[in-house]
Order: sequence, then C-alpha cells, then structure tokens
Amino acid sequence: MSTGIVTTALCKVFPPRRTPWSWRARGTPVAAVSGLSIAIPAGQVTGLLGLNGAGKTTTIRMLSTLLRPTSGTATVDGLDVVADARAVRRRINVIAGGERMVYSRLTGRENLWYFGQLYDVPRARLRRRVGELLELVGLAAAADTPVERYSRGMRQRLVIARGLVNDPAYLLLDEPTLGLDAPIARELRLLVARLAADGVGVLLTSHYLAEVEQLCRHVHVLDGGRLVAQGSPAQLVAQTDRQHVLVVTVGGSVPAAVEAVRAVSRDTGARLDVDVDEAGRDRLTLRHRDDLAGPVVDAVVRAGGSIVTVAVTPPTLEDAILAMSRATPAGVR
Amino acid sequence: MRHALRVVAAEALKQHRRLFGQPLVVFSMLIWPVLTLAVTYYTVLPVTGAPAAGARWAVAGDPRRLLAFLAAGALAYTFFFSLVQSAWHFSFERVSGTLEAVFLSPASRLALVVGNGAGALVQNAWLFGCFAVAAASAADLLRVAHPGMYVVAFVALLVPAVAWGAFLNSLLIFSRDSAFLYTLLDDPLWFVAGVRLPLFALPVWVKAVGLAFPLTSSLVVLRGSLLDGARVAELAAPLAWLAALTVGLFAAAAGLLRWGEARAARTGSLQLF
Amino acid sequence: MAAVWPTFVRNWRVTLRAYPWTYFVGTLATGLLTVGVALLAYRAIGGGRVAASFTAATGGSDYLGYVTVGAAALTFTTRMVLWVAKAQITEYREGTLESQLLTPARRLPYLLGVTLQALTTTVVEVAVLLAAAVALGVRLSVPDPLALVAALAAATVAVLGMSVPLSAVMLAAGEAHITQNTLFTAMALLCGFTFPTGYLPDAARWLGEALPVTWALRVLRAATLPGASVDVPSALAVCLALGAAYLAVGLWILPPAERRALQRSGNA
Repeated sequence: MSTGIVTTALCKVFPPRRTPWSWRARGTPVAAVSGLSIAIPAGQVTGLLGLNGAGKTTTIRMLSTLLRPTSGTATVDGLDVVADARAVRRRINVIAGGERMVYSRLTGRENLWYFGQLYDVPRARLRRRVGELLELVGLAAAADTPVERYSRGMRQRLVIARGLVNDPAYLLLDEPTLGLDAPIARELRLLVARLAADGVGVLLTSHYLAEVEQLCRHVHVLDGGRLVAQGSPAQLVAQTDRQHVLVVTVGGSVPAAVEAVRAVSRDTGARLDVDVDEAGRDRLTLRHRDDLAGPVVDAVVRAGGSIVTVAVTPPTLEDAILAMSRATPAGVR
Repeated sequence: MRHALRVVAAEALKQHRRLFGQPLVVFSMLIWPVLTLAVTYYTVLPVTGAPAAGARWAVAGDPRRLLAFLAAGALAYTFFFSLVQSAWHFSFERVSGTLEAVFLSPASRLALVVGNGAGALVQNAWLFGCFAVAAASAADLLRVAHPGMYVVAFVALLVPAVAWGAFLNSLLIFSRDSAFLYTLLDDPLWFVAGVRLPLFALPVWVKAVGLAFPLTSSLVVLRGSLLDGARVAELAAPLAWLAALTVGLFAAAAGLLRWGEARAARTGSLQLF
Repeated sequence: MAAVWPTFVRNWRVTLRAYPWTYFVGTLATGLLTVGVALLAYRAIGGGRVAASFTAATGGSDYLGYVTVGAAALTFTTRMVLWVAKAQITEYREGTLESQLLTPARRLPYLLGVTLQALTTTVVEVAVLLAAAVALGVRLSVPDPLALVAALAAATVAVLGMSVPLSAVMLAAGEAHITQNTLFTAMALLCGFTFPTGYLPDAARWLGEALPVTWALRVLRAATLPGASVDVPSALAVCLALGAAYLAVGLWILPPAERRALQRSGNA
C-alpha cells in the first residue's frame, strides 16, 4: 500500500450549467485540472501554487472527496477518494481561509464537539481533544461563549481548530491565511510546521509566496490546470532564470570605475544600466543570474573608486511563479 | 449504526442550540397559529351555524367541538410546518459554508437530515404541553376509546413528521430557491391536508393531492383517536398509509441525498434544481 | 414634495427588474385559499345557506362575496404594508438608508412616493385575485363606483398611516419578519376581513375599532355589499382621522428609530 496522497493523471472537467427548466446546457465544459500527477508525502509540507484559476481549489476539493474526478485517480494512503470516500474523510481535513465553516449560534466548544461527533472521534478522546484544541488556538477562555460574540480573529482560530478535530493524517490548507490577522497567520505557520514535524502530511496553497518559501519542502506549480513545474523553492527559482539585481553607487567622479564595471558586465554577459542619483553620483545597475556584488565591488575599488551603497535583490519565488505563468501560452488554458 | 446514532444526536442538539429561545419560534409556533385559528373559527362560523349544517357535519352543531376540531388541525399543521421551517434554516447552511464542512466529514448524510428534523421536533415538545393544557381545560370534548390511543395519536404524528423533515431537508439543501418551496408548502399544505375543513368537504382531486402529504393522514388519526373515540381497527387504513408514506419519504430522502451529493461532486455546485 | 416622483420612478424600475414573485405567490395563495375554504364550507357544510347571526350583522346573506371582498382587502393591506413599512428597513439592509438620510429630502414625500408605486402594483395583484375568485365560482355584485373610489382612498390612507409607525418599529428593532407577520395575523382577526367584527369578544372588538383599516373596510363593504348598513361619511371621516393620527405618530417616532438603526450598523 502506498502512503501519502498520490494523484495519477487527475482531471476535472466541469459540465456546462443547466437551468432547471431547460435541459439544454449553456456554455462549454471547463477543464479545471488536466492530467495532474503529484505526491504529497506524510511528515512534510507540500506547496501547490499557481495564479488564480490555476486549479488549486479544485484539486483540494477532489482530494477532500467533495468533487469527483472526471478521470485519473487520487489515493490517500492507498484509499481511493471515490471508492473509499468515507475512509478517506476520516483521514483528512481542510482548513480554508476566512470565518466560514463554523456555527455562530453555538459556542466554540459546542462547534468542536459537534464536528467531533460527525467524525466519530471516540467519546472519551473527544472531550480531551476539544480541550486541547481550544488551548492550542488560544480560545480556552472563550470556549463557552457563542461564536457570534467572537471577534474576527477568534472565529478564524476556531476555523483552524475545526480542521484539526479529527487528528487528520493529512491536512489540506486552501489559502489558510487569506484575510487572517497577521499574528494569527504567523501562529498558523508555526502550527503547520509543527504538525508536519509530528508526521502530518500537509498540502498548502497560498497567495503569500513568502509563506510557501518558508514552509514547503517541495512545491508544485499549476497553470491552467496543468502541472508546469515542481521542485524545492530554491530549485524553482533557479529553473526560471530570474536575475539578481545589483545596484552600486560610486562616490566622486571616477570614469575608470565605471569602465571597470563595464568590463565585468562584458565578461559575464550581465546587463548594465548607468545613470546618476539625486546627489549626482554614478549609479550602476546590473542584472544577472548570479550575484555579482563581489566582482563589481572589487573592480570599482581597484579602479580607484569608492563605494557609497551596494544593494542586491535576489529573485524570489514570486518572480519565478509569475515568470512560469507568463511562459505558458494562453491557448493551453 | 453507532456512528449514525451519534450523528443524529449531535445534529439534533446543534439544531436545538441554534434555534431554541429565538423569539421567532414562539411567534411562529404559538402566537401566529393561535391568532390564525381564531380567524378560521370565526370565518367558518356563519356556515356551520347555517340551518341543518349539524345534519351534514356533526361537529358543526357545537361551536366548542368545531373549535376543538380546528385546534387539532392547527396543532398538527404547526408541528409539520415547523419542519418546513427547520429545513429552510438548514438550507441556509449551504450559503454560510457550514454545509461543506459537514460534507467533509464521514458522517452519514441520512443521519444528518434525520437528526435535524428530530431536533426541530424535540424543540417543539412545549407545543404539546400547551395543547395538553388547552385540552385539559376542555376535557369534556376529548373522546378517547382507550388510554393507549394517546400513544397511537402521538406516534402517528411524530414518526411521519421525522420522515417528512428528513425529506424536506434533503430537498431544500439542493434547491436553488428554497424560499419558493417554503411558500409552496405553507398555505397550500393546510388546504389540501384538511386542516381547516373536514375531508368530505374537499373535492376529490384535492383529497388525492392531500393523501401524498403525511400531515393529512396524521390529522385523521389525531382527530379520530382524540376527538371521535376511534379505535385502532377503525384507523387501520390511515395508519397503514402513514407507514407506507414514512418508508417512502425516508427512501426519497436517501435517494435525493445520494443524487444531490453525486451531482455536487460532478458539477461543483450544491444545486440540484 | 420633490421626492415623491423620483422615489416612485426608482421603485418602479426596481420592481420591473426584480419582481418579488415569491411574495406575490405567497399572498395570492393565502387570499385564494381563504376564498376556497369559504366556498367549500358554504357548499358542503352550510348547504348554500348561512347562519342568521351573519345576516343580522351584515344586512345580507352573500357570504361568499363578503369573504372574497375581505380576502381581497386583506391581500391589498398585506401587500401595501410589505411595500411601505418595509421600504426603509430594506434600504437599511442594503446599506442605502444612510445615503437616503444624507439628502435634504423629507420622509413624508419619500413614503408617499413608495405608497403610490405600491398602489400601482397592488391594484393589479388584487385584480388577479378577484379574477381567480370569480373563476372559482364566486359571484360578485357590481360595486358603486363612487363608494369604491372612496374606499380605495380610505384604505390607502389607512395603510400608509399604519405602515409608518411600523417602519419605525422595524428600524428600531432591526427586524421585519416577526413584526410584519404579527401585524398581519392580528389585523386578520381584529379588522373583520372575513367575518363580522360582532363575532369577536368585546375587548378584541375595541382593539379593532382603533385600527383605521377596520373603518376603511366598512366603507368598502358599503360599496360592494348590497344591503350593508354603513354610515359611509362618518366611517370615512373616522378612517381618515385615525390614519392621519397614526401617520403623525409615525413621522414623530421615525427619526429616533432611524438614528438607532444607524447607530447599530455603525457598531457592527
């Protein structure tokens, strides 16, 4: 039996909408996910990235049994999401960003108790588990207050606790920090890292790429429902040929220093732009795959120039994702 | 099965916590029905007081018996309509996002809708209390053949109501315009079920439509056993029909849930129609 | 008075774009089924005859006409109240109450605009109900046109008068459903839409006398029920006086209710 979540050639095509009074379909079928084959192992955080409409949420909904794949398979620890849906539901849970998915007229404790019953968490364990979760998300003091009197942040914490009520072996996070208050988002990131360290397999989709860079060991990039790249965040950045941007300001007017930098740019193939800053000093901007700060500073100093400022901006995962999405021809969608 | 029972209990309790103590419950279950009962009573009074009306319908001869007849109708109707109302509330869970959270869990869907309906009924137990007090104050109007008939009347009201609630929940979860169904099941329901008129006064086609609703037969049993001193043998036909309807409604609920969820999984929309 | 016309036009546009069919079907069904029950009971139980108490109270024996006109009047009242009393709380819910109150327009012209627009749609809806009742077999006597117009005017004033305080209550409570349905069921009982108010216990009858709609109904009976013994001029006068009094009270309590509603939405 394979462990982890494994999808093989997973496809989802949404049929065109029908109106109740006419069986004639309107519009055309929409392929939201096409031929997706990925693996989400236990004990680590795996990222799923893409632009809006890339098929991330559809993928999560298929893995969580809410949507049935049109073709292909998805298994959770060897259990098929269609054939063994109920067994799969026991093993997974979903946390989506925002404040939905809890009942506002019930208290925090009642909400967790209710969902615990639906997940068939053994009675004795459920009581302990609810207490632990309320403690974990910092709602112990408000446990018996109706959710309608919670602040937004408290509701969001309860949504997170709900997603953990069945001790899921796999946790699917769909934009979990979307709209979250900053401190709660940070706590959630810490929690996710700790869960992964404890053996939980986590799938994370997020618009906050810094979050993905920080948490994920492996990242899958979707565009138009297709897998366009995968690897560690560092590998993805390297793959996309994004450039480091180096900006050096040279003190005094030393033409030789500028010439020396020109020579470096010729040798390395870096693109060079020269202009003057507000104080009238020469400002040199170089773009290259590698960080050229060392050789450039060296060349300026050797030529008798003095360095006023040096700034290097390394490429980010965000740049990489944007570049990949742009590289995909529009027709593929 | 054990898991299903836990789901029924949890859902019923959740339903209770969500709705109990809302002013709407007192208004829609007690104040409005009592006012409407009075309106109905006064509206038919000119007719039941017509010469020889008592010969056509024994109840018409005695205004107190007429009131008891209409009150029994109002009770049963309010009881069944409370399930329409609770199903309507349940359908809001689709909008609020909690329905999806529920569907993520491995809980049996049928157990959920049954639990939801049962929860609505448990909350309305107080309604029976009010009715019992009213009945006790007019004890001479009750004609009960055997104490066991109280149980028969209660079961004939309760069990079909749970099935009706489960069916409505399944129907409204997946309907686009639940407000329309809500309206459709309000006034037309009392009309076809003989809530305000004896069944003999209704045209045949209305009676035929009414038979499809469990309220109609529940009401026949309720009035028969509490007001007319009927025995089980005399009520065998409506009781058998109620049993069949109950089974049918549960089956329809299970089918709708299966169909609706499968469709939702295919189209990504929780709307069946 | 400048706000009457633009409000009228705006509400017409909204109505044409999104007509609330569910409400219409609901109120139409209530009215029609009331007529249906009366019709069936009259035939199957009364054998086509009515009690002497009814003839004595109404001055005639046209039970079906009496109930049908009453059901139509109840539909008229419910629909008008739904439009007029709910106008402001609907604005509040949609978030436009604030922009409404920012303008220098007065409340009364605004409410008159709403009322006039409501009148145009409601008259059509009541006509649909009456046509359906006739199709079911109810025979209506031809009304006295002058008295009918008087009755319609009286009913409009009565409904506007009752709707304005109700609007204030809804705004203050932040709730419409319970308030409106309680009013509808209470009116159905107290005003004598489908039965003579003489049937009611004294206390309930006096409560009914205090409602302008009860008096408007009397004018309507005079117009539609041959043999009805109604002193039209004095009923009309009482109706207008009561309607004006309700309206005055309503306009007086409306501003604090609006402030309360805005305060609540500011806190939320």
